[in-house]
Amino acid sequence: MVHLSSFLLKKYHGGYVVIRLALAGHKQANRPFYRIVAAFNKRARDGKYIEQLGTYDPLPNIYNEKLVSFNYDRIKYWIGCGAHATKPVAKLLGLAGFFPLHPMTVTEAERRRAQAAQIEPSTEKEEEQ
Amino acid sequence: FFMTNILTSLPVSLRAVLVETVRGRKSRNDPIAKSKEGRIKTPPPVDPVEMVVLKERYTEYQLILSALRLDFKEEVLRRKYEEETGSLAEERARKEAEEHRALMDWNREENQRMLQLRIQMEKEEAERKEFEAALEREQKQQEFIRMKEEELLRLQEEAKHFITMENLDQRIEEALDNPKNYNFAIDKEGRITKQTVLK
Repeated sequence: MVHLSSFLLKKYHGGYVVIRLALAGHKQANRPFYRIVAAFNKRARDGKYIEQLGTYDPLPNIYNEKLVSFNYDRIKYWIGCGAHATKPVAKLLGLAGFFPLHPMTVTEAERRRAQAAQIEPSTEKEEEQ
Repeated sequence: FFMTNILTSLPVSLRAVLVETVRGRKSRNDPIAKSKEGRIKTPPPVDPVEMVVLKERYTEYQLILSALRLDFKEEVLRRKYEEETGSLAEERARKEAEEHRALMDWNREENQRMLQLRIQMEKEEAERKEFEAALEREQKQQEFIRMKEEELLRLQEEAKHFITMENLDQRIEEALDNPKNYNFAIDKEGRITKQTVLK
């Protein structure tokens, strides 16, 4: 079993580190659960990762909350070492306050509000009619 | 037939597993389906106003993010530096060296003590062995003397029954007068089973 040093590891992988969501292997249909993980770019999504930095549960619980956890210290370390964050992770971190709010979060919210505003007058019209 | 059926090229054992997940996928040179012949694919419509706002938001976001990244990098480097050449590191190294020295001294002391103990034990052992050897020798001598004395006594006893020149005639007469009968058989316990009468 050969264990490479970090320099050799970088040469071997040739890629970069990403912070992304990986499906935790619970093997239950229709019940996903994600781990926020620092892994090399080319690895499989659920394959070997370098370190786990948190969790994300996409289904809301009985109080209608979606639970997320972060290990801010280690996230800081990895980003300081040059890791990239994927879009969903960046969005989650933006909502958590660690990153600035992602522009797409804001635009999505605006779009939804516009659609809701569009539907409301039409329903009002239908009610009136 | 343009769609090379991958399914039929598989062995029967694997076909059953893949039939649910994989459907016939098109290869590069396969013609377009009849229902999609006149289709013109258009990208989703972009709102220019929204796009401008979005671009500005993105530039701001990227600026903040790069600033954060540099900040974190600096923190990582600072921590590493502190770890290696900070004030605490020196103290730790010094304490380690002291501890090491103290432990080595203690070890040396222990070795010395053990050495002394061992020497003493060995001396005692030797003495004891010497003593026991002396005892053994004494006993052996005693034993020897006793054996010899016993033998002497036995010989003396037997000497009474010896046949000498004076007893010769007497003993011959005695032997001739008392014939001994050895015609008997013996079992394992030593009792006589058969005996014939001497004639």
